[in-house]
Amino acid sequence: MTTSSNPAYPAGTIITGKWRKSRFVIRRVLGQGANGIVYLVQKAGYRGLYALKMGYDTLDLQSEINVLTSLQSQRKSQDLLKENVKSPFLLEVDDFKDRNKDIPFYVMRYIEGSALHLFIRKRGSEWIGLTGLRLLEKLRGLHQMGFVFGDLKPENVLVSEYGRVELIDYGGVSTIGRSVKQFTEWYDRGYWNAGSRTGDEAYDLFAFAILMIQLLDEQALKEAAKQQLPQTRNTAELLSLIQRKTSLKPYSSWLRKAVLGEFANSQQALMMWKEQIYAPAIVGKLPGKTPRWLKSAFAFSIVILCFAVCLAFFL
Amino acid sequence: MKQILLITDGCSNVGASPILAAAHALQEGITVNVAGVVDYGTIGELGGLEIAEIAKAGGGISRIVGTRQLAQTMQMMTRKTVVQTIQQAVNKELKEILGHDSLEELPPSQRSKVVTVVDELTETTPLQVALLIDASASMKPKLAAVEDAIRDLMLSLQARMGTSELAVFHYPSRGSSEDAVLDLNWTSDLSSLRSLFQRIQMKGATPTGPAILKVIDFFRYGTLDGHQSWRQNAEEGEGMLGDYVV
Repeated sequence: MTTSSNPAYPAGTIITGKWRKSRFVIRRVLGQGANGIVYLVQKAGYRGLYALKMGYDTLDLQSEINVLTSLQSQRKSQDLLKENVKSPFLLEVDDFKDRNKDIPFYVMRYIEGSALHLFIRKRGSEWIGLTGLRLLEKLRGLHQMGFVFGDLKPENVLVSEYGRVELIDYGGVSTIGRSVKQFTEWYDRGYWNAGSRTGDEAYDLFAFAILMIQLLDEQALKEAAKQQLPQTRNTAELLSLIQRKTSLKPYSSWLRKAVLGEFANSQQALMMWKEQIYAPAIVGKLPGKTPRWLKSAFAFSIVILCFAVCLAFFL
Repeated sequence: MKQILLITDGCSNVGASPILAAAHALQEGITVNVAGVVDYGTIGELGGLEIAEIAKAGGGISRIVGTRQLAQTMQMMTRKTVVQTIQQAVNKELKEILGHDSLEELPPSQRSKVVTVVDELTETTPLQVALLIDASASMKPKLAAVEDAIRDLMLSLQARMGTSELAVFHYPSRGSSEDAVLDLNWTSDLSSLRSLFQRIQMKGATPTGPAILKVIDFFRYGTLDGHQSWRQNAEEGEGMLGDYVV
């Protein structure tokens, strides 16, 4: 059994595939997931940069590769319809022969960006509406292909410049109707006693809601999680938080529905999110309620006008 | 598929060797996982070694964790062991069909189908997990966390497509007998897991070995009394043993 304490390879290490003999040079470590380490690599003799993931366990990694392959083939058929062919997501799958054992790896497209919570911290919470929308679009896409993401957390959402969103680490993805393979306690529906760990669209939406609450008001979420004993922890605390906190107000009705699992599917959730983030902007620009001082000033000016007209008439 | 998950915080000190007992379990087709729970200080060199040895003899995994990570660790160990057991069976088939020893020797293009089968079986195979909880005096402050972890494990098991059942034992018992006490019979109902350990009275001794043997008997006969009758039968005639292979 492999353990997760494998040290990362230093920059400059050359990874040669056992089967296909491709060579990749490690530049640096990009991140460490639950079942592998991801490196930034350069294909030897080429300029392009790729992300290379080395798995701790052949079976786990292959399971992830299976999901990626299936997503890719479905995506490809969709892209052909739309006639925009993106660079392939999954480039190569192979083994690296280290001194004492073979380490499985796969190479994928490299996406530059930062984790969602870091992006929001840097650019400000005004970006939450848009990045949230794009994340929901990604989730809807995944759901429509018959998968749930499972382990949704800020570290697994990559935001590149101008708020483009990508999901990374597909190790927790499972087929709809199956048990969720991998999760993180805060974002887990089961942790809040709010439902099962069976993968359905609402599971991802619940995690998304927690993620948004965290981005908007992390302190409040921490307190809510801490306040109760594990066996009595429930969504009531979350719901009161959603209602109480002014920072959550713009999203409160959406968050409430997601926490209660009331969305029929992620398409519906996406539509409501859209309405929610665009509604206030439109109301703000159009003249809304006329302020009282303006009305009285207007009335006053009419009176003066009448007075002036009368005055002009009599004189 | 059958598993025993032992949750303890130290060395056994009474009765048969727990390592031998775990080896017996494996012989019966029951995998033994061990979670060592330590919050303050360490489990001691001897305790740590024993935990690792029990898991090795029982064909399972051992981990030493604090109460905070217990739930997550139990979930992970159970899942990993299921996968491992299925993988072993699949590897055996692979060897017969393709002459390859293991999944790792297959080229990546062929792995995908094998893993699909393993994933499928992992999700659908019926599973029984017997939790055996060390209730010696030092475990007392950790029992609340253990109970929460059991609830969490049940939640994860419920999500599987195959039937999954849990049973809960603790040891030592309050009475003169030092074997395991059944707290909860096979169930897949989350609500039956409330306030499991309120009645437990803690005792100092840690008879891990005999407790494991008792749980093996429970798997065999579905009752804790089966052990006695089996012993009597065995004394009457050696050939009787063969009848009880599950």
